[in-house]
Amino acid sequence: MSSVLSLGMSTLRRNREGLIEYARMAMRRQYIYRTNMAMGIVLTGITIYLLTILWKAAYGDRSEIDGVSITQMLVYLTIANLQLRFLSPELDGDIEERIREGQIGFDLNRPVSYPMQLIAGGLGDVIATLPMLVIAVPIAFIFGELHAPETAEAGIAYVASLALAWIVAMQMNMLIGLVSFWTLEMNGFRMMYRLIANFSTGALIPLWFMPDALRAVVQLLPFQAIAYIPVSIYVDNPASGHIATALLIQAFWAIAMIFVIRWVWVRAFRQTVIQGG
Amino acid sequence: MSRQFSAFMALMGASLRGGFQYRANAISSIISGFLYQLTGFVSVWIIVSRFDGIGGWSLPEITFLYGMRLASHGVFYASFSQLFEFDRVLITGEFDRFLVRPVSPLLQLLSRRLRVNCFGDLLGGALLLSVASRGIDVDWSPQAVLFLLLAVIGGALVEGAVQVFFGGLSFRFLNLQAVKVTINETFNQYGNYPQSIFPRPLAFVLTFALPVAFVAFLPASAILDRTDELHVATPLAWLAPLVGLVLFTLARWFWHHQSRHYQSSGT
Repeated sequence: MSSVLSLGMSTLRRNREGLIEYARMAMRRQYIYRTNMAMGIVLTGITIYLLTILWKAAYGDRSEIDGVSITQMLVYLTIANLQLRFLSPELDGDIEERIREGQIGFDLNRPVSYPMQLIAGGLGDVIATLPMLVIAVPIAFIFGELHAPETAEAGIAYVASLALAWIVAMQMNMLIGLVSFWTLEMNGFRMMYRLIANFSTGALIPLWFMPDALRAVVQLLPFQAIAYIPVSIYVDNPASGHIATALLIQAFWAIAMIFVIRWVWVRAFRQTVIQGG
Repeated sequence: MSRQFSAFMALMGASLRGGFQYRANAISSIISGFLYQLTGFVSVWIIVSRFDGIGGWSLPEITFLYGMRLASHGVFYASFSQLFEFDRVLITGEFDRFLVRPVSPLLQLLSRRLRVNCFGDLLGGALLLSVASRGIDVDWSPQAVLFLLLAVIGGALVEGAVQVFFGGLSFRFLNLQAVKVTINETFNQYGNYPQSIFPRPLAFVLTFALPVAFVAFLPASAILDRTDELHVATPLAWLAPLVGLVLFTLARWFWHHQSRHYQSSGT
């Protein structure tokens, strides 16, 4: 495992300038599509507002259910959905487009490996969308409920957890994108995947409130690392009661996914078809 | 008018055959559309069953409301999906072609293509309605069934009217896709719940400014005999199908009126 990580580090050092350029390109592209991003934020505001109304109605007169207060619940929903908006990489669409147009041939010939190009681009995407927080946070504040974390530890752990959440989100997205190397006809599949993945992140219903059988399944999936784990840390109700356990589950997935992606990538590379060359 | 209608049906039939040209692809989109909608319902089902109903509505009642909304959306999507392509039709100049044919340009736009996954929505809606109807106390007289049918079509016309209205504005502003998608999402999300859980001002906005309530909530309240808790007069709930027809007629007039502002892109 350490060899994988050190290999990653040396690639980073060798190709630093190239990778920074990928990130820059991704940032410029995000800027071109800024209207889409703004619309996305409005849609997130609409969702947050509905979830707030819905859960308030579900709580009714009760101020607490299963040890979760209504305020904790509303802050959870607000942050989880905000996070989902900002941490939704769209590498899968890029991969499909490059393959469809035959451009993938150029990508594969570059000195930086294709997965590394994608990661750099994903980083650029996130950096470029950060200024949008200026609109998103007030919208979330008005339509949902936001306040600072209860304790300083929770705040610090949340930041670490958020970074891991971004890594897992990107890995999962890249993995789905790599399927394009085998087939380009996957719109229906991708729609289903997105729905199941979004649900399994716990952003609509936190794992606390899922029926036992469903929770047992969702706990075995990596998606909880994208929203449920960081946000439950933020509202001070982390998985199995310990921040450390929650972070460990996340770290496990982030590392496990490195191996899965490498395994799939080697096979995808062999499958490559350059279209229209 | 009847000539226009038969032309429209002929064009729609052609789109339908077109949609099923690649049969495996068509069937897989229908199945994935169906599963997509049912998965969407799962989160509602979990919340409602975990908390024994929402806003005094039981699980079967919410399921019925959700089923009505979904069926309406299926009819809407079967008839009006091309409104979401309209901006592109204008920008590319494809609209020029509509103007030289002897059928109303709006009908040509609507019958341009058929998105077969609408059948997934229809199946999902029908399934939820039939499951829910076992748990609710409704006397299914022929009149009640007829009202349900008209309400589903009326609901589709309400959604269609709003999108046709914004389509009309596209003649002047060209790029309204973001607005159209946002409105579609608002219908899809807020239409599934009883408006008694909404704050009063929101309920009024979602009834009179953006007529979400007329798609399913108001007619469902009428069928489920829950009109006593409405934020509007009871007759309005029974008139919902008619409201769809009126709004659509107005929107159609508006669209044709705005079409005079069309400027060809010259491509």
